[in-house]
Amino acid sequence: MATALGPTAQDSPPQPVPGPLTQFFWDAIARGELHILRCQECGFYVHYPRPLCPRCLSTDLAGERVSGRGRLYAYTWATQAFHPYFVDRLPYCIAVVELDEQPGLRITSNVIDTPREAVRTGMALEVEFPEVAPGLRLPQFRPVPEKGSAS
Amino acid sequence: MKGADRVAAVGVGYSTTGRRTGLTSWQLAIQAAKAALDDAGMTPQDIDGVALLWGVAGPAPGGLDMVDPMDFGYQLGCGPLNWYNTAGPSYIGPAVQAVAAIGSGFAHTVLTLRIINQRLSSAEEIAQGVAAGPTKAVGDWQFTAPFGSVSPIQSIAAMPAQRHMDMFGTTEEQFGAHVVTQRGHAALNEQAIFRDPLTIDDYLASRYISTPVRLLDCDYPVDSASAVIYTSDERARNGRQKPVFVESASYSSVKYMTFENLDDMTQSSPFHAARELWKHTDLKPSDVDCAQLYDGFTIIVFQWLEALGFCGLGESGPFIEAGHTRLGGSLPVNTDGGACNVGRRHGANFCIESIQQLRGEAGARQVPDAEVAVWANAVGPFSGAMLMTAS
Repeated sequence: MATALGPTAQDSPPQPVPGPLTQFFWDAIARGELHILRCQECGFYVHYPRPLCPRCLSTDLAGERVSGRGRLYAYTWATQAFHPYFVDRLPYCIAVVELDEQPGLRITSNVIDTPREAVRTGMALEVEFPEVAPGLRLPQFRPVPEKGSAS
Repeated sequence: MKGADRVAAVGVGYSTTGRRTGLTSWQLAIQAAKAALDDAGMTPQDIDGVALLWGVAGPAPGGLDMVDPMDFGYQLGCGPLNWYNTAGPSYIGPAVQAVAAIGSGFAHTVLTLRIINQRLSSAEEIAQGVAAGPTKAVGDWQFTAPFGSVSPIQSIAAMPAQRHMDMFGTTEEQFGAHVVTQRGHAALNEQAIFRDPLTIDDYLASRYISTPVRLLDCDYPVDSASAVIYTSDERARNGRQKPVFVESASYSSVKYMTFENLDDMTQSSPFHAARELWKHTDLKPSDVDCAQLYDGFTIIVFQWLEALGFCGLGESGPFIEAGHTRLGGSLPVNTDGGACNVGRRHGANFCIESIQQLRGEAGARQVPDAEVAVWANAVGPFSGAMLMTAS
């Protein structure tokens, strides 16, 4: 319940506090786009955002839009809440998704609206941007049908 | 360590250990330090270096008394220190830093401590912490916490464990085989908190915290301090105890502080730490008589078994299931029962158990003629290991 003091921890998951290096990421999410920091000299994507490219040591990096498609690298079904927002949302699927743009380029997210037995490491996923709390959109993923699959 | 002066561990000690001890961090630390000094037959004046890591693990209320190595060394009466450090992760940090300080000649005798004061130990208190919940996620946390990745159980244990299952065919029964095995060792350890035998059915009936990780896969948070004293080879030979020697040690960092964003969740820093450990010695994995492998969560033990070369990549599950890690097996693992059963000492219990095994004073759980032991601590972006010998 929101109070006169503002939203409580029950109303929202921990809310991102963007810094100078990460503002682009959350600005893009608010528009419904996924942007990842990219080296403007060698093209390497860098996530989490850092002030230099680990491949060529350039400090010229900028957020660029990515496809929002990827594959599930690792996941777990959280069955106990460690934050009040999640108490009534159990179980939920925490996911690390490897984006199609670059081997090893991964973001932490959720697989949503998917039955437990249907979540599999390696499955193809696509991003969307639901509003999980008032004013907070998050990049979350749902499965995309594989070529040749029955669905 | 090849090329460095030899270092030995000559004293060990524990504080009172348990939940709701009512003891402050300072009281815990003093208890453990006195016990280790007594074990070594030393006085504080024999110490010229202090390396400790203080800190709670888990939800922390305000007002816990912090223990600083400068202050602690002074209050203990060590006199001017030649060297001091606060180092992590876990206990491997103080241990490796002490060995480095002695090996390089900065100090001759270093007191090391891992001090953990939980205070928040009951389910009710933890529930209160959950109810308060952080509302903001800063730094790298902004890329994980909004999605509900807010507990180390999820990121350190659950996702790597699930991936280990998916990559290598590891089973929940194999995780359970480890849990049952080390509980069996705890039954032989009078110091252990949990000593009642477990069956695989007990394990499988244990509730999930975050799949596939169950309650019984998690170490047991307690208030405790653990102390080990290291000294030079020469001084060790005049001590009260049979010295135990540091044959090799390693201290690895492979990325910034992250568990979700590791380059490889199932082959993280332990693989680097283990490669470095074996580089500094002529001993081989087949020379090891017992292994004490950090069990903050079960999957960490699996990763260390593979990293240290006791089994092949992805083969830790069958290795454990075949009984190799039992007392009497080819490589007894966590012979004290592990932190799941003796309480969370953040690696220090594995160092102390290695020393006690190599002294031959492990009682009912003694590995016969143990001459070489390895202990390992932490996982993910940072970790380390130490190989110790009886002669």
